[in-house]
Amino acid sequence: MSDEGKPKVGFYVCHCGTNIAGTVNVDEVSDYVSGLPGVSVSRNYQFMCSEPGQDLIEQDIREQGLDRVVVAACSPMMHELTFRGAVGRTGLNPYLFQMVNVREHCAWIHSDPAAATGKAIALCNAAIERVVHQEPLFASEAPIYPDTMVIGAGIAGIQAALDLAQGGNQVYLVERDSTIGGNMARFDKTFPTLDCSSCILTPKMVSVAQTENVQILSMSDIEEVSGYAGNFRVRVRKRARYVTDACTSCQDCIAVCPVTVPSIFDMGMASRTAIHKTFPQAIPNSYLIEKDERPPCWSACPIGQEAAGYVALIGDGRFAEAAQLIRKSNPLPVVCGRVCYHPCEEQCNRGFVEEPIAIQHLKRFALDWEAQHNGEVKVPEPPVRHSEKVAIVGSGPAGLACAHNLAQRGYQSTVYEREEVLGGMLALGIPAYRLPREQLQQDIDFIRRMGVEFQTGVAFGRDVTLEQLRETGYGAIFVATGAHRGIAMHVPGEDLDGVVDAVQFLHNKALGESQPVGRKVAVIGGGNCGIDVARTILREGAEEVTVVYRRTRVEMPCEEHEAIDAETEGIRFLFLRAPVEVLGKDGKVTGLRVIEMELGEPDDTGRRRPIPIEGSEHDLGFDMVVASIGQRADLDYLEDDPGAGEMQLSPWGTLDVDAETFATNLPGVFAGGDAVSGPATVVAAMGAGKRAAEAIDKYLRGQPLEGFETHQVPAEIPRVEGRPHRYSKPYEEIERVPRTQMPKLEAETRIGGWDEVELGFTEEQAVAEAQRCLHCGVCVDCYQCVDACKPGAVDHSMKDEVDHLDVGQIMVSTGYKQFDPSVIPQYGYGRLENVITGLEFERMLSSTGPTDGKVLIDGEAPRSVAILHCVGSRDENYNRYCSRVCCMYALKFAHLVRERTEAEVYQFYIDMRAFGKGYEEFYTRIMDEGTTMVRGKVAEVIEAPEGSPGKLLVKAEDTLLGVRREVPVDLVILCPAMVPSDGSEELRQLLHLSQSADGFLLERHPKLDPIGTASDGIYIAGCAQGPKDIPDTVAQASAAASKMLGWMARGEMTIDPIKAEVQEELCGGCRVCNALCPYNAISWVEDKKVARVEEALCKGCGICVAACPASAIVGAGFTDQQIYAEIGGLLAV
Amino acid sequence: MPENGFNPKIVGFLCNWCAYSGADLAGVSRIQSSPTLRPIRVMCSGRIDPGFVFTALKSGADGVLLAGCHPGDCHYSEGNYLCLRRTLMMKKLLGGFGIDEERLRLEWISASEGDKYSKVSWEMENRIRELGPLELKQ
Ligand code: FES
Repeated sequence: MSDEGKPKVGFYVCHCGTNIAGTVNVDEVSDYVSGLPGVSVSRNYQFMCSEPGQDLIEQDIREQGLDRVVVAACSPMMHELTFRGAVGRTGLNPYLFQMVNVREHCAWIHSDPAAATGKAIALCNAAIERVVHQEPLFASEAPIYPDTMVIGAGIAGIQAALDLAQGGNQVYLVERDSTIGGNMARFDKTFPTLDCSSCILTPKMVSVAQTENVQILSMSDIEEVSGYAGNFRVRVRKRARYVTDACTSCQDCIAVCPVTVPSIFDMGMASRTAIHKTFPQAIPNSYLIEKDERPPCWSACPIGQEAAGYVALIGDGRFAEAAQLIRKSNPLPVVCGRVCYHPCEEQCNRGFVEEPIAIQHLKRFALDWEAQHNGEVKVPEPPVRHSEKVAIVGSGPAGLACAHNLAQRGYQSTVYEREEVLGGMLALGIPAYRLPREQLQQDIDFIRRMGVEFQTGVAFGRDVTLEQLRETGYGAIFVATGAHRGIAMHVPGEDLDGVVDAVQFLHNKALGESQPVGRKVAVIGGGNCGIDVARTILREGAEEVTVVYRRTRVEMPCEEHEAIDAETEGIRFLFLRAPVEVLGKDGKVTGLRVIEMELGEPDDTGRRRPIPIEGSEHDLGFDMVVASIGQRADLDYLEDDPGAGEMQLSPWGTLDVDAETFATNLPGVFAGGDAVSGPATVVAAMGAGKRAAEAIDKYLRGQPLEGFETHQVPAEIPRVEGRPHRYSKPYEEIERVPRTQMPKLEAETRIGGWDEVELGFTEEQAVAEAQRCLHCGVCVDCYQCVDACKPGAVDHSMKDEVDHLDVGQIMVSTGYKQFDPSVIPQYGYGRLENVITGLEFERMLSSTGPTDGKVLIDGEAPRSVAILHCVGSRDENYNRYCSRVCCMYALKFAHLVRERTEAEVYQFYIDMRAFGKGYEEFYTRIMDEGTTMVRGKVAEVIEAPEGSPGKLLVKAEDTLLGVRREVPVDLVILCPAMVPSDGSEELRQLLHLSQSADGFLLERHPKLDPIGTASDGIYIAGCAQGPKDIPDTVAQASAAASKMLGWMARGEMTIDPIKAEVQEELCGGCRVCNALCPYNAISWVEDKKVARVEEALCKGCGICVAACPASAIVGAGFTDQQIYAEIGGLLAV
Repeated sequence: MPENGFNPKIVGFLCNWCAYSGADLAGVSRIQSSPTLRPIRVMCSGRIDPGFVFTALKSGADGVLLAGCHPGDCHYSEGNYLCLRRTLMMKKLLGGFGIDEERLRLEWISASEGDKYSKVSWEMENRIRELGPLELKQ
C-alpha cells in the first residue's frame, strides 16, 4: 500500500473491439469507477491484452505508484495470467490484481446496453472493493516427476508414448484391453490413401513395445489418482492374465480349450477360445485367459470341484481328461459320482433357463468310462515329501479326504478305523444299491496307493489313546469320528421289541449281521437316512413299508429323486403325522399312535413348522417301527481316554474347533466332519478334511494358521446378472433343452436284490447333457492349457497386481466406441441378419477377420450394398454432433465392395463432408468409380418381400430428386456415431475432468488449447476429446506429448498459492476441518491442540475455510474478508 | 429493465471449474441470460460460507444462486455435496426468518451447460419477480 496506508487502485476496462464496447458503455464504466475511493487511475482501452494495453498498466504502476490493479475484460480463464504477468513485471506482487469478466459474463449474454452497463458497473465496483483486501501471494515452484503416464493405447496413446519416450524418462502406457492398438487395429484400410491399417499401425505397436523406457500396462485399470500437477500418484490394477511372458504364441492351448465365446475384437462375428490372443499381431504378444465371475458350481462345491471344467471336457468328448480333472481336487471321485448331494446343481445357472446340468451324473459317467477304458489310474507324485507323519481317526469322507490331501502335499498318514470296514458312513450308512461296495473300494484303493496306511478294528480312546498316537511319533492328529448315533424318538413304547434305530439297522446290514424285519414297517423321518432304511427293509423282505413324516413332501429333507425312487419301488408315504406312542402287546410292537399335523409359520430353516391338531390321534397297525429322526456324534472316547477328554465341546455336543483352521484346543490336534458339524453331507465332510489337511500342513511347517487357499463356499454365490457370463445371451434368449434323465433299473428287478439302481449315462447321453453347459466363468478351470503349454506359461493361480505409480503428467487418449444402432429400431440392426455396422464390415474386410477378407453374406457375395451415413450422429434423438469420419469411410467401403465384388453400391447420406487433406479428391475418385449417391436419411430397412432382387429393402426419400425410393439390397452397412469409450466416464471422474455436452472430454479451450484440460498436467488427445480421423488424432497426441516434454525440460511446475492456512491462535481445536478435507491435508497438532494445513497437499478448494466455526482458517486468494467486500461492492450499485 | 420499478439483484456464487466455466460458455455461445444475476467466483461450491448467503441477502440481494459441479464431478471430489447439505440447512433457517426459501437456489451446472446457466438465470429472475423485493426489517 502507498505511504499513507491508503491503497492506490488502477482500473482498466477493455473494449475488446466491439465485443465488450458494443454492448457495455465502457466510458460510463470507467467514469463511474474513477469516482470510487482509492481509485487513482481509471481508463478504458481498445485491447487491454495487447502489448500497448499491458504497457499502459505497467506504465501507470511505475509512474503513479499504483499498488492494486483491476482489469475488466474477458474471462479470467483467458487472460488472468496475462495481466498478472504485466503486474508482476513492474515488481508489484501479481496477486494484487483482480479481473472482472465483463465479456463472457456480461456483454456477450445481454443485449440491453443499459442493463449490461449497470451490471458491469456493479461487477467492477465489487472488484474494486475486493482488491484492496488482496494481499501479496507467492507462487512456489515444485519439481515435477519426470515420468509420465498415457491412458489408452490406441494410435493416439502409442504415438504419444513414442514421442514422450524421446525425453528419456519412463512412460507408462496404460491400456484396459489385453492389447494395444485400439480401434485402428480393427480397420482394414484407411482413407483416403487406402493403405492397409495394420501395415501402418503394427510397426508403431512393435516399436513402442521395444522402446525400453515405455512400460506397457495392458489389462490395467486406473483405480485412483491423487496428488497434483507434476506430482500425481496413480493406483493401477493390472488384471491377472494367467499366462506369463514365457508364452510363445504357439497356439497349442487353443487346440485344447473347450470353451468358445464371441470375439469382441471381431465384433462378435467370429468366436475365440477362453485362452486366446486378441489378434495375431497383438501386443503384449502373449495369450491370456478370460475369467469372468467364477462358475457357481465351483463356488458352491465344498471341495472346489472344477465341475464346469469336466462338464466342458465331456461335452467335447474328452472323457479321460474329464476323469483326470475330477481326480485333481476330489479325493473320493467315484463315491461323489454316486452319492454326492451336488450343491453345484442347486446353483447351476442353467437352472435360470430350464433345469440345472446333471453334473453329478456326468461325474459318474466320466469315472465309469475311466474304469472301463483306462485300467489302473496312475497315482500322482507329490512335489515334495515330508518326514512328518499324521494320524487320522476315522475313515469316513472327512478322514479319507484329509489323508488324500495330505498325501498330495507329501505327508504320509495312517487312518485308524474302529470298524472292520473302511469308509465310515459311506460303507455303514449308505446302502449298496446306491453305492456298490466295489465302487467305494476303488476310491479307498486309490488313496491306499497314494501311500496312506489303514488300521481297521482299532477304536480310538479304547484301543489307542491320543497320548499313544503322539508317542508313536505322529506330528499331528485329525479326529473325524463322524456322527453314528441315532437320536431317540422320546415317545412311550420306544423300548418295545420291534423298535429299532435306523443308523444301527443300516450299520448291522452293512456288516452282514443278521437282523429280523417286520411285515408291516413304519419308518419315522423323511431324511435320506429314512429313505435308505425304508428301501433296505423292503429289499430285506418286508411286505409294506411306510415312511411317516410330520410335514409334507415338499419339506422332506431327503433328495427328491430318492423319494421318487422309493415310491416307484412301492414305499408308502404318510405325511403330516407324528408318532405319539409306540403301541405294543406282550412286549412286541403292534402299532403306532400318531397325531395329525398342520403346517404353521416357517421356522429358522425356512420350512413351515408342523403344529399338532388337537384330538386327531389315531392308531395304525405295524409290527416294526424304525426311528430315523437324526444322528449325533458318538464321543464315548472322550470318557475312555483322559487325553482326548481334554478336547473342548461345543454347546451342541460336538467337537469344538476354530472355524477357520479346524484346530481344537489341543496343540496339533485338528477335527472335522460330522463329529464337528453334526450330521451333514459327504461332500461337506470332505471339504472339512481338505481344509484340515492344509491347516495341518501349515502347522507342521511351522507357519501361522492363516492365508488358507482351500476353497470354502461363500455365503453368497457370486454370479453375473441376467446371463451366465459377459459374452453370453441373456437367459431368456437361450434355447431350452431338457435335462437328460438318468436311466434306472426296473423297479421290480430292484427290490429283488442289491443291484445299483442308477445305470449311468451312455456316451451320447453324457455328451448331449454336457453340451447344455453354459460355460459360466468363460474359463471353466479344466486346466487343459496347463498341460498343453510346453513352455509352462499358463498359471491359473495368478492374481491381480496393484501398483502405485508416481508421474508428473498424464495424457488421456481413451478413444471411442461405436454407437449401438440397435436402439434405432427402424434400421433393424440386431434383428435383420444382413444389417451390419461399420466396424463389423471392417472385420469382414480384414484378411485376418472372420471371412478372411471376403465380402460375404451367407457364404455368397452380395449383389448390392447400401451404406447408411450418420446413424446416431447429426440426429436430435441420439447425438447432435457429426462423427466426422463416416463420410470418408463410407466412401472407402464403397471402393472396397466394388474391388472385391460385383455389387452395386448405394450411399444414403445427408451431407457429404470431405474436409481433410486429400478427402475431396478421394470423394471424386469414388464417384468416378461409380457409386450411386442418394441424398436423404433412410426411413426404414425392412425384409424384402418374396421375389425381390435383394434380401432387404431400404426406404428413403431422395431429397435431391424429391422422390421416395425403395432400394432392394443384399447387405446394409450402418455407419454409427462415435461415442466415448466404455469406462471413460469413470476415468473422467477419477481425474476430475469436465465433459462437453457431447459426453467427450472437455478441452481447456476449444480453439487455443484443444489438448489441455482445466486441470494442469492432464492432457487429452484423439477421440477421447471428440470424434476425429487418424491424422488429427496423431497430431493431437504428438502435440500433447510435446507440451509434456516442455514441462519435463523445465523440471518444475508453478504451484498456485491459493491455499488454506490455520491461524493457530484462533483455532479452537474442534477438528471439524480434519474430516472434511478431501486430500487429508489437515493434520492435528497434538501438543498445541490445533489443526494444521500441510501446504503441499492443500489444493485450495476452501471447503475447510467455509466450515471452520471459529473462522480460523484463511483461504489465500479467496479470504472471507475479500469475498464479503466483493458481496458488498456487488450489491452497492 | 425495471418492471413496476422492481429491478431484482441476484448474487450467483459460481464454482470455478464447472458453473463459472458454464457461464463462460453461455457467453462464448452468446446465449442471452438474465442481467439480474451477478456472479462471484469461488474455487468450489464447498467454499460457500452460509455467511456469504445471509450477508448478500442483508446487503440488498433479492435472491442467491449457488452453482457447482454435478454430483461426482466436483473438482475437489465432494465439495458440492457439502454445499448441498449446507443449502438444505440454510433453506430451513431462511424459512425460520420468514424469508421464502426459494430465494436461495442450488444448481449443478457443468462447464458444458451454458444453456443451463442461462435457463437458470431467467427462471431465477422470474421467480424473484413473483416474490417481489426482499424487505428485511433493519
Ligand atoms: S469444484 Fe465445482 S463444486 Fe467443487
